[in-house]
Amino acid sequence: MALFGSDNSAASSSPSTSQEVKDSLIRQVQQEAAMSNARSLIGKVNEHCFEACVPTPGSSLSTKESTCLSQCMEKYIGFWNATSRAYISRVSKESKKAGGADLSGLSL
Amino acid sequence: MDPQTQLDIAKLNDGDRKELTQYLANEAQKSNIQQTVHGLADICWKKCITGKISSGRLDQPEEACAQNCVERWMDTNFAVLKHLENLRGQ
Repeated sequence: MALFGSDNSAASSSPSTSQEVKDSLIRQVQQEAAMSNARSLIGKVNEHCFEACVPTPGSSLSTKESTCLSQCMEKYIGFWNATSRAYISRVSKESKKAGGADLSGLSL
Repeated sequence: MDPQTQLDIAKLNDGDRKELTQYLANEAQKSNIQQTVHGLADICWKKCITGKISSGRLDQPEEACAQNCVERWMDTNFAVLKHLENLRGQ
């Protein structure tokens, strides 16, 4: 499960101080959050790009289909980022209107 | 969970415990927002990317469509809530 180079070796000696326990927990949460986010993204890319690039599945992926899949993947990630920017900017505008927290500095 | 990282939560002092609680709350919020964005990208991709895919770059109309889609989805959200409020007051 080392999709994004998650490295557990640093945590292999069991943490003994408060600082070490904290750092180790934060590292684990970060890894799992990244993993869960990647899993959602990959699932959606698979779904949409299969739909867009492989309309009639043959006995193997053609060169054209493979090229399309690579392009689709890049486009989906760009699209995801555009969606994220639009959503965060709107939410932070609304929450400022309501006198709430400023989320504009948030990046995912 | 990795078996080699057995963590003893009892070792945390009050300061670190507080810091962790705050950290986890932030992460939970970030994760919530990410999940919403996954849902939105899913919905908006279907509406905005309808033709053949001929480039890996997101072009200007596609980017504009993504933005409009998110904005109108939010408007819809508010409109539904507002109408619900009206119905409740009747």
